[in-house]
Amino acid sequence: MSDVEKSAYRRDARRGIDDECLQSGLQKIQNRFGKGAMHYWAETADDGLRDRVKKSRMETLENLDVVLSMLADNIEAAGGHVYYARTAEDAVDYCRRVAVKNEVKSVVKGKSMTSAEIGLDAVLEAEGMEVTETDLGEFIIQLGEDRPSHIIAPCIHLDRQRIGRLFQEKLDIPYSEEPPELTQAARRALRKILLEADMGITGCNFAVAETGKISLVSNEGNIRMSTTMPRIHLALMGIERVAATMSDHQGMLQLLTRGAALQKLSTYVSFVGGPRQPGDPDGPEEFHLVMIDNGRSRILADEEFREVLACIRCGACLNICPVYGKIGGHAYNSPYPGPIGAVVSPLLFGINRYADLCKGESLCGACLDVCPVRIDLPRMLLALRRKLAYGDPAWQTTRHKWLEAMGFRLWRTLIASGPAYRLALRCAGLLQKPFISKSGMIKKMAGPASAWTRDRDLPPLASEPFSRRWKKKYSQAAKATSSEVDNG
Amino acid sequence: MHTKVTLFVQCLVDSIYPRVGEAMVEVFRRLKVPLEYPADQTCCGQPAFNAGYAKEARAAARRFVRIFESAEAIVCPSGSCVHMVRHHYPELFADESIDYRMRVKAVGNRCYEFSEYLTDVLGVVNIGASFPAKVSYHDSCHLLRGLGIGEQPRTLLRHVEGLQLVEMNDSDVCCGFGGTFSVNYPEISTAMVDDKIDNIVATGADYVTGCDVSCLMNIEGRLSRRNTKVKVVHIAEILASRAGHNDE
Amino acid sequence: MDEKGAFLATIREALGYPGEEVRTAGECRRLFDPGDDGDIFDRITYRTHVEKQSLLKLMMENAVPLNLGVHPVRSFAAAARTIGDIVSAARPEFGDIRQIIQHDDDDIARLQLWKKFAGQAVTVHTSYQADMAVREKAIASYVGITAPRWAVADSATIVEITGPGRPRSTSLLPSVHIALLRIEHLLADLGEAYALLRKNPPQESVVFISGPSKTADIEAHMVHGAHGPREMHLVVIDERMTADRNYQGSGLFPAE
Repeated sequence: MSDVEKSAYRRDARRGIDDECLQSGLQKIQNRFGKGAMHYWAETADDGLRDRVKKSRMETLENLDVVLSMLADNIEAAGGHVYYARTAEDAVDYCRRVAVKNEVKSVVKGKSMTSAEIGLDAVLEAEGMEVTETDLGEFIIQLGEDRPSHIIAPCIHLDRQRIGRLFQEKLDIPYSEEPPELTQAARRALRKILLEADMGITGCNFAVAETGKISLVSNEGNIRMSTTMPRIHLALMGIERVAATMSDHQGMLQLLTRGAALQKLSTYVSFVGGPRQPGDPDGPEEFHLVMIDNGRSRILADEEFREVLACIRCGACLNICPVYGKIGGHAYNSPYPGPIGAVVSPLLFGINRYADLCKGESLCGACLDVCPVRIDLPRMLLALRRKLAYGDPAWQTTRHKWLEAMGFRLWRTLIASGPAYRLALRCAGLLQKPFISKSGMIKKMAGPASAWTRDRDLPPLASEPFSRRWKKKYSQAAKATSSEVDNG
Repeated sequence: MHTKVTLFVQCLVDSIYPRVGEAMVEVFRRLKVPLEYPADQTCCGQPAFNAGYAKEARAAARRFVRIFESAEAIVCPSGSCVHMVRHHYPELFADESIDYRMRVKAVGNRCYEFSEYLTDVLGVVNIGASFPAKVSYHDSCHLLRGLGIGEQPRTLLRHVEGLQLVEMNDSDVCCGFGGTFSVNYPEISTAMVDDKIDNIVATGADYVTGCDVSCLMNIEGRLSRRNTKVKVVHIAEILASRAGHNDE
Repeated sequence: MDEKGAFLATIREALGYPGEEVRTAGECRRLFDPGDDGDIFDRITYRTHVEKQSLLKLMMENAVPLNLGVHPVRSFAAAARTIGDIVSAARPEFGDIRQIIQHDDDDIARLQLWKKFAGQAVTVHTSYQADMAVREKAIASYVGITAPRWAVADSATIVEITGPGRPRSTSLLPSVHIALLRIEHLLADLGEAYALLRKNPPQESVVFISGPSKTADIEAHMVHGAHGPREMHLVVIDERMTADRNYQGSGLFPAE
């Protein structure tokens, strides 16, 4: 297997880079929303908001046990059910039990990455239930048996022609590639399903502990329908997706809609929690909140990584990242792509397993600049790289590339000694001669550096390093200047 | 009388682009700044650090501190190296004694990037340079986002006689080097540098310049492979140029 | 230890606390500090009518990119006429029968819409609490009329609180949503709405609505009209509207 094939990340990155449709979609989104977000932060007066929200997120995390307990109490007081899922399996099993107990035939879903994380849909479908994604982007993904490639715009990798053909085939409608017509087709197709579904499953943007409500943010209205019309509403919530108070929520909401799509506010922000109250003809008969740990408490416990749980899932980092902008979301092979995914996926699912996500970016730092809550992703990527370099039993991580490790040990020996370093340079200067082409550049290298010369030329080592030139030409002159200056 | 400047040229400049070091020397000579060059310097440790090899990086860092801590002002033609010394050295030595940590911090405080030193410390914007050509400027990531240096190089370039500064689209987007990233994930790295080059070419510039030889080497390597006629030059070389200069 | 206890114990231990010792809100008082909304309440309370009229103008500007129609009118009668026009101009999306559904609300009742549509082929339903068929009526209606608690000028948002006779589906299922508001209930920004919600936290569900539904999932191309209503109007009654303060300056809608 070639090097590229051994790495799913590199293989899928290559595919993404070559996919013109994806490149066009990514450019649109990055030009508008990534740059737009950076522009917004630069122009807006209240930079203090980002710091305040970061502070309140960290404080909430530092008291997460209290906050979750209050949330649970308030939900139960309103007649809702709370389930505490330690693992993905626990969560999925609970959802399955609730659905089976209530003889659920049809499930409608609001967009939820957590549901993808735990692998819920397949289990419900195995029980013979119809599971339909109602968010337009997710609906398109589901129809095409595809995977989402962005956390806010799941089907950005598809163009209108592909979607038109998909709808023609799967919805049995005449071909159209106009977004308004396609949207209308989805609206009609999904309305009936939404009205007749037995159970609505959503994620949770932020729960608010002091009120016992969860908030759900959308533009389409599908989430409102999924939480209003079916008789059961089940919400999946990662344990970190909670605000202590409505005051905290206010700040988080403003940053979320700005960071995600430069909106002051999304079209709909609903606060729901608990079954229908007396005199409420809509609303579910049963409300379930499934709190999911699945490795989050371990991240919480490690102060080096705790900060990553402050994420508000706005997607701004995806919109600014030059690596994501070339390779697209599928290359990450995780429910969480992009810069945030590069940190969260290894921490949740295995650092060695996702070694390429830890190392496969240039650490340019744009994600830190654009993050509404200033999460230092580059710092955490470096920390993950250190674990791969030396291994870390606490995180079940073993050394990643021993050849690279040996290489840096050798490097250390050389740079630790002036004479050894200079000798190595002289040797390399001689060894490189056969590789230097007529143009003066090296076109093909051997060994690990050959990856460089695959696509780039390499300038050769200079015949005389600077240190020798200094000795020859300048040290006298420098001494002269010093004395000139001293005397002058 | 100017403070003596201790040159920290960077391993890549020492071994591959010594003319950048020579250009720095020429500029300081013109400004009558006394210089010294600790011949024993090797590497700040950044390549190892960014790849996760903190222990190896620490060895390089310790050496650096030892060699440079007696300097009054350390000037380097590379933003990423300066960022390493200022921001990451304190992290590397977080477990050391308070004394040592203060020494490390002090070295960081006295370490400057070349264009930053000229404009912010020496207060000079016109070096008397002449470089008649269309030039575009690439913002290196650590220089811009890490150190906040973006205006200083542009100010210096605008005062170069005959130089026409043309801004490229996305000048602040990463060129794709990223240290070992460029050899471990070459397809992604190449795709990124191709975008950068397309943006440079679109300006019609004759030259692309910057303040970090790592980025410039990456861009130059791909320009060469693509046979594109744009030339690469470090800002020090531009500033060292006089009327009637010859391209090297 | 039960499931909840074990779950929270894990989190406590992750934070460095002993697992078995349950911590209370009292131990992190600052986190739950309600803060002082006094200034905000003063601003709301002492806002003059003229200031509210300025806010309305601002809201009308902010509503434009959201495709939200804002209609200032001088009286309930004028509101009824405006709503009548909107209903007549709209066509049912699913089927031909024209049914509209309105919240059981005093202000909406004042409009006497049943009178307006008597003699036309438009059935007016009211979502009375006692009506068992409200769900079906909402599904069948092409226009839904609600009376939000507040509107927010800065983000062109309305705040609806569910309650007896005021189901969620009215502003959700019909193709056209019309919201009726008296200018007295207009707030400046979301902060004021939050302050009011903090003061009296509702038991029921709350929704912020800022225009008709939309999506940009296809090629980042904005389409108005996704799953929720595809057309939305806010009719604002300003009984103190005068000749010189008739919102004509904003050039959006003529005064009544």
